[in-house]
Amino acid sequence: MSTMKQFRKMFLANLTMTLREKQAWFWGIFFPVILMVIFMVIFSGGSDDDFKVKVAAVADQSHEGSRMMLEQLKQIPVFDWVEEGFMTREDAETLVKEDEVAAAIVLPSAAGDTSLSLILNKEHEQNSTSMAVISMLNEYVQQANMMAAGVKPVFTLNVESVSAGSDDLKYQDFLLTGMIALSIAQGGLFGMVDMVEMRRKGLIKRLRMTPARMGLFGLSDMLMRLVFAIFQIILLSLIGVYGFGATLHIDLISLIIIFLIGALSFNAIGYFFSSFSKTTEAYMGIANITSFLMMFLSGVFFPIESMPGWLQPVSQVLPLTYFVSGLRDGMVYATGFMNGAFWLGIGVLTLWGCFAFMLGSLLYRNRSIAAR
Amino acid sequence: MTVLEVQSLRKSFGAVQAVKDISFSVEAGEIFTIIGPNGAGKTTTLEMIEGLVHPDGGRISYGGLSWDKDAEEIKKMIGVQPQSEAMFDLLTPQENLELFASFYEKPMSVIEIMDMVNLTEHRNKKVRVLSGGQRQRLAIGLAMVGDPQILFLDEPTTGLDPQARRNIWDIVRALKEMGKTTILTTHYMDEAEKLSDRVCIVDAGQVVAMDTPAALIGRLTKEREVRMTFLDGVSAALDMEQFAQGQTSVARIERTGKGLKLWTFKPEDALHALFGFTKERGYRVDQVSIREMSLEDVFISYTGKEWRD
Repeated sequence: MSTMKQFRKMFLANLTMTLREKQAWFWGIFFPVILMVIFMVIFSGGSDDDFKVKVAAVADQSHEGSRMMLEQLKQIPVFDWVEEGFMTREDAETLVKEDEVAAAIVLPSAAGDTSLSLILNKEHEQNSTSMAVISMLNEYVQQANMMAAGVKPVFTLNVESVSAGSDDLKYQDFLLTGMIALSIAQGGLFGMVDMVEMRRKGLIKRLRMTPARMGLFGLSDMLMRLVFAIFQIILLSLIGVYGFGATLHIDLISLIIIFLIGALSFNAIGYFFSSFSKTTEAYMGIANITSFLMMFLSGVFFPIESMPGWLQPVSQVLPLTYFVSGLRDGMVYATGFMNGAFWLGIGVLTLWGCFAFMLGSLLYRNRSIAAR
Repeated sequence: MTVLEVQSLRKSFGAVQAVKDISFSVEAGEIFTIIGPNGAGKTTTLEMIEGLVHPDGGRISYGGLSWDKDAEEIKKMIGVQPQSEAMFDLLTPQENLELFASFYEKPMSVIEIMDMVNLTEHRNKKVRVLSGGQRQRLAIGLAMVGDPQILFLDEPTTGLDPQARRNIWDIVRALKEMGKTTILTTHYMDEAEKLSDRVCIVDAGQVVAMDTPAALIGRLTKEREVRMTFLDGVSAALDMEQFAQGQTSVARIERTGKGLKLWTFKPEDALHALFGFTKERGYRVDQVSIREMSLEDVFISYTGKEWRD
């Protein structure tokens, strides 16, 4: 059929043009990959299991008691001792000042002495490593005191983390799904720059002078974008899973629903931008501001809950917030589509998409031409 | 057979009346050229005929079909090469042609078109890297791809070098041989004169003259300009100037140095008398010419405006 033939040609032409466009490769492939790798390395690399703190032990005069304490302290797996034995206070202070070690632990130097001291670098006094060392030493001192007093502890604390989904949710999973949502959203926000360029060059006018079906052309363009977005999902997932140990629990139905609604909505927003941008520069400016704001306010890199309270209502209206969380439902939590939060997200995204599309169409129609 | 009829077309943009009253009809197989100074309303007229702009008044009929009722039918009949470079830069000429061919039910062969517009050897380059002339030829190819009855070529040679212009003239002539009707606008008078079957001069939104180029030129005043220079220098020119002033066939004279310009309604009589005088005095004539009237003179006489390329 000629409609199918026309559609196939249009789809292939759109695909060929996208693959030949360097910008599409950069913003669609390299940029999200690089951004994800950077965030993965900074925020998840070397955290969890292999958290180590370099420390030094100081005792002016080593005696039986301090040697025993050192042996006990060495049982704490987090501490990484720079020297097997003791060093002098001066040497240890130098190491702390030069950031060679995070802390120096001063042990009692005489039999009657019972105080422990901790030497920290003033610049890092408040950071999480120092805090961790302080609390671990406190814990040790308390236990030592109880043992000395012959008291058995009544209460013990076991720390467990829980999340809504599977128990093995990691930051990698969180970031990976955030990045996938971000790159699909950006594909829509930036991708419609073609429309501005086509209008500027008179190509839309030109196509309308042929019997070409413009609706079909738009549809083929949309399908090409969806195919490109699926490629982005697969690529980012592969890098996340095999490069950074992310774990995915995919619920296919909810993933497909949120993917289609999200991709269409963000393309509609891009379409709206294209309807009032006279130049590609103007379009790119608007798309950049929008995507930059949403990137940090929609829980892509960090949970929304960690933002200041007054900022959170802003997140609650942004479409990316719902796309990110819906995509997480479909890719890591595997909560399925039978829950209210998921459909609330779908609803907000659909609303955004329809509104943007209608407004864009209205603006396009206002400058329309006689030939339909 | 009339393929296109335009009657009393009108269009205003705000307070500006771009097209006041334009009527003409185009016969099958002819090359019909619309010329006019900038801002005369050529582009607006063309865009109304191509269905891009809705006229405020008047009628456009493609053998009985109108844009209001038969837009889809008309789109299949016409092929448009717009002024802007409306094509896909990231695709090759062949890919552009194949894409456009898919819009039509009975397209021409893409291979044949590439051969005709001389792009076969560039068919796999991206349009982005093509020269201006190559892009213009592709634009004409894209207008041809639906095998239309009527082609609109809007200033197809503007900005091209002489060789590239001649290539496009060849394509336009080939289209005529194929029996196509071509509606052309141009900035170049020589082009209109050489290519057109009929020329329509538009000024200030109205048709001021319409006929074959030869008939338009024939309508001009019969006064001709004769130029002469002498090998014997200024004295010969001065002597000749005095002689010519006494001749009834010469209307007026201008002399600059050893060159003479004179205007006459009877060039045969004037030249006979002038050469009789040179022979009598033994003056040696260096150069002599009678300037031919061109479409440019027609244009100037009808619009009162100098033509600027």
